[in-house]
Amino acid sequence: MAVHAAFLVSTLLLLCGMGPCLAAAHSPSGVECVLFNEEYMTCMWGSRETLTANYSLYYWYENRSPVVECKHYLQDQGVSIGCYFNQSEIIQFQPFRVLINASLGSRTLKFLSKPMELQDLVKPEAPVNLTIRNMSSNQLQLTWTSPYPKAQCLEHAVKYKSNKDTNWMEHQVKGDIFSFPSVDYEKYYTFYVRSKINSYCGRTQLWSEWSVPVVWGSNSTSKEEQLHWFWIHTVLIPIASCLLLLVLVVLLVRMERVWVILMPRIPNPSKNFDELFITHNGNFQEWAGVPKDVVESFRPNYSENICYVSELPPKDSCEPLWESGNYSPSVMPGTPAAPREHSPYKNSYVGL
Amino acid sequence: LSHVMATTFFRSIFWVLPLLLVLSPVNSSSCAMGNKTTIHAKYKNILIHDINELVNMSAEYRDRCCKNKKHENSKVFFCNDTQEIESLQSMACNMLRFFHKQKISKDYRRKAALVSCGTLQVLECKCERHKKEKVCTQVNTHNTDTGSEQSKNKCNQEFCELKENISSLRSCWNKFEKISR
Repeated sequence: MAVHAAFLVSTLLLLCGMGPCLAAAHSPSGVECVLFNEEYMTCMWGSRETLTANYSLYYWYENRSPVVECKHYLQDQGVSIGCYFNQSEIIQFQPFRVLINASLGSRTLKFLSKPMELQDLVKPEAPVNLTIRNMSSNQLQLTWTSPYPKAQCLEHAVKYKSNKDTNWMEHQVKGDIFSFPSVDYEKYYTFYVRSKINSYCGRTQLWSEWSVPVVWGSNSTSKEEQLHWFWIHTVLIPIASCLLLLVLVVLLVRMERVWVILMPRIPNPSKNFDELFITHNGNFQEWAGVPKDVVESFRPNYSENICYVSELPPKDSCEPLWESGNYSPSVMPGTPAAPREHSPYKNSYVGL
Repeated sequence: LSHVMATTFFRSIFWVLPLLLVLSPVNSSSCAMGNKTTIHAKYKNILIHDINELVNMSAEYRDRCCKNKKHENSKVFFCNDTQEIESLQSMACNMLRFFHKQKISKDYRRKAALVSCGTLQVLECKCERHKKEKVCTQVNTHNTDTGSEQSKNKCNQEFCELKENISSLRSCWNKFEKISR
């Protein structure tokens, strides 16, 4: 279990008014200590991107040792981001505490960690010398060795899959032997192993890195298969694709039916108007069959000839009364006497 | 004659007292120094499971009132170098006194007593106060008093002390397993 020690704001804040502000702006998110194979330890509290103040680390073991400053700081571009402890500075099974000073100018802030048990922060090295042996009845036996000095304190996990599988299988192993019950000789297997401190010696979730893999399966078969796939992927498939493309192009060019389906002709309406332009010389009205008088009526300076229509007096009918002399034409009251002079409009009406 | 007899008598017993002083150890260990291989085997195959269950139970109870508290009996919680068995004995015997603490959950203190008794049994140790062994008899016969059930939300100092005792016992067993082989 990766212990992420929580920081408590210490009662030793020098300036209470600015303390929270400084804490909010520059406080590290937490310290993480890891013992690598019990050979050395690092306690990291941040990265260059998140830290801006100057940091110093002090540590001690409760009821045992005086407070000591870190002798070897780990830096990133001039900013201290962690502390390195060598083996002589590490004591397990003693509560271990850390105090970090963050200073910016004349202001200083202190962060005190909870007590840590270093035996619960051990991360062993990955197993080495993975070896596979053929046992009887299609059984494989995988063994390994661990650089960690106390083998009785380790538990392991084995991860494997064959070349025909998609997912990895993982098994927990208490000793340093893993038996694979039934192996398929036509498959090609890959195995990985990693280690962790077991519950007999500590309480941690820190697994080691995966080991260098070991493979099992017929080497010649795998090489032939690889060569086979190489020829398929790099030669056969490209050639087949090119041939198919060529056939399609030839079909397109030679078979108009296919061409028309794939590339339909864009309709050309110009032929419908050949008669308009050739026969009627662009005279739309003539081509459309519009009557001539309608055409004439649309002309802007249209004028119509007046058609004079006159009515001839009948020959055998009664003489007009005013020509006998005995009767004078009655004059309607209010009606002025009609002038007797001739007018061009006498006994005529305008006919349209 | 009586004078000679008296002198002879005192001479004969004169060496007895120093001999008794030499032979009687200053701190008499109440643990039978059994086979370590057997102890390791019993720890790994039997006791570790009860210890892990007890530690998991500890994590279920709220311990806000336990932060930054120094306990009076804190020296009991140290697992001294090269004296892991004696330290385990001390821790186990100390844990037995919590069995009758009513403010602590019945199941929790019963489990703690079970682990204590198991530790003493594996190490073949006794406690200085023999009354504590009566607790083991009660625990093994599933005879527990009808104490009040502690709510998981309540925190008290006795619970804090027991929790720290359990954590120290677990660490001391880890140290014994890691170092003494």
